[in-house]
Amino acid sequence: MRDLPTGSALLALARDVLLNDLMPLLPPAAHLEARLVANSMAIAEHEAISGAAPAQRILHELQELYGERGEGEEGLMRRLACDLRAGAFEEGEPRERHAHEILWRLTIAKLRDANPRFLNANGFS
Amino acid sequence: MVDTGSPRSEPRVAGAAAEDRRAALARFLAEASGAVAVELTGLTPLRGGAIQENWAVDARFSGGAFAGEQRLVLRTAAPTGVAASLGRLEEFAVLKAAFAAGVTVPEPLWATDDPEITGKPLFTMRRVEGTAAAHRITRDAALDPALPAIAERLGRELAWIHAIRPPRADLAFLAPYEEVGPTQQIAGFRAYLDGHPTPRPVLEWGVRWLETHIPPLSDPVLCHHDFRTGNYMLDGTALTGILDWEFSGWGDPHEDIGWFCCKGWRFARLDREAGGIADRARFYQGYQSESGRSVDPRRVFFWEVLASIRWAIIALQQSDRYMIGGERNLDLALTGRRATECELEILMLLDPGGVPNGA
Repeated sequence: MRDLPTGSALLALARDVLLNDLMPLLPPAAHLEARLVANSMAIAEHEAISGAAPAQRILHELQELYGERGEGEEGLMRRLACDLRAGAFEEGEPRERHAHEILWRLTIAKLRDANPRFLNANGFS
Repeated sequence: MVDTGSPRSEPRVAGAAAEDRRAALARFLAEASGAVAVELTGLTPLRGGAIQENWAVDARFSGGAFAGEQRLVLRTAAPTGVAASLGRLEEFAVLKAAFAAGVTVPEPLWATDDPEITGKPLFTMRRVEGTAAAHRITRDAALDPALPAIAERLGRELAWIHAIRPPRADLAFLAPYEEVGPTQQIAGFRAYLDGHPTPRPVLEWGVRWLETHIPPLSDPVLCHHDFRTGNYMLDGTALTGILDWEFSGWGDPHEDIGWFCCKGWRFARLDREAGGIADRARFYQGYQSESGRSVDPRRVFFWEVLASIRWAIIALQQSDRYMIGGERNLDLALTGRRATECELEILMLLDPGGVPNGA
């Protein structure tokens, strides 16, 4: 339905123009703000590319952990947060490992969009 | 704590003309210093914290002990704050105590709560030379050879700060440690998370770990509570001042060590665990040799986990100023995303080797 280039491709090109063509024309006092704009565009670009798939994967994991099919991601995530606060899954049960794996997957998926460079700097691809 | 990058207008009193404010400042400086008169030759906003406003003040003093040209900094509250911090007059008292203890800080000069100048309490201090820019300090290859010695020096400075202990009549406004210790901090984190619109299970898990691993209370000392790269000035390789004392309070000495070393403050060099500038060993060595106390790695670990959680919550609070407060500021809005960086660090600290396949 949508025309090409895609929104993410436009964002990537616009970011390139901002950093390489416009930045040299800006006064130094505006460089920080321009970099923040470029960072924001990068996050939007990554999120457009990854789409709904990471959230779907996390939802699937949460549903497996809780054996629930009905509840949505937000509700299950809130339940996980409450359970972790209360010290659930601390008996070395398999569910403890599963819960921790969800935390890892969630965090890595978020950083892939928001700050892949930080992820790489910490040894994650 | 976080640079907003926002342009600022002059310190302002509603309805008062800029000239009146400048005259009020000049009058205050003259009276406080015993000068016959003070002429302001420069008043420029300095980049700095999102919570405080700092102004570079150039002034010509006629008469008195400060006769001649003086380069000062005026520090007052920004229009919006993010977390509970000391008022300016209290911060001034802490700065005076640190200066008297031999800590390298800009010399505190005069404070006032006269509303004629900025509408808010303020204090002045000498302006020290150099840069506090953390990315530059951690990235500049020319600085590299000097950084281990700077880390050791910072360890010594921290020991001097921690030599200030309660009770102190001049610091009687600081909350007793029993009211601001780890248990209270944990309660504060949970209160924030309860009001946050999005669940943060990693932070919840981290806070739960803190709750079940609180170390025994130690004798409290004065903690800076924001002692880190970005909050000290270097002029070349010389340390010229430790800045931003607004979060100071009584605490566990390991609290400041954990904050200094936590990953959130290593900037361009995650591998240099002491503030992005050196190995921990040099920093600890400076601290231990001056304080006579050994650094307990288990306690540092606890406070480093707490530091990552504290940093994450500060990051979320910064973006709340955009998300909830409507403050149009891209830097604040983006800072919220950094909470996830802290969460990765919490996982790496508490679940090393736990990364699932295919994550």
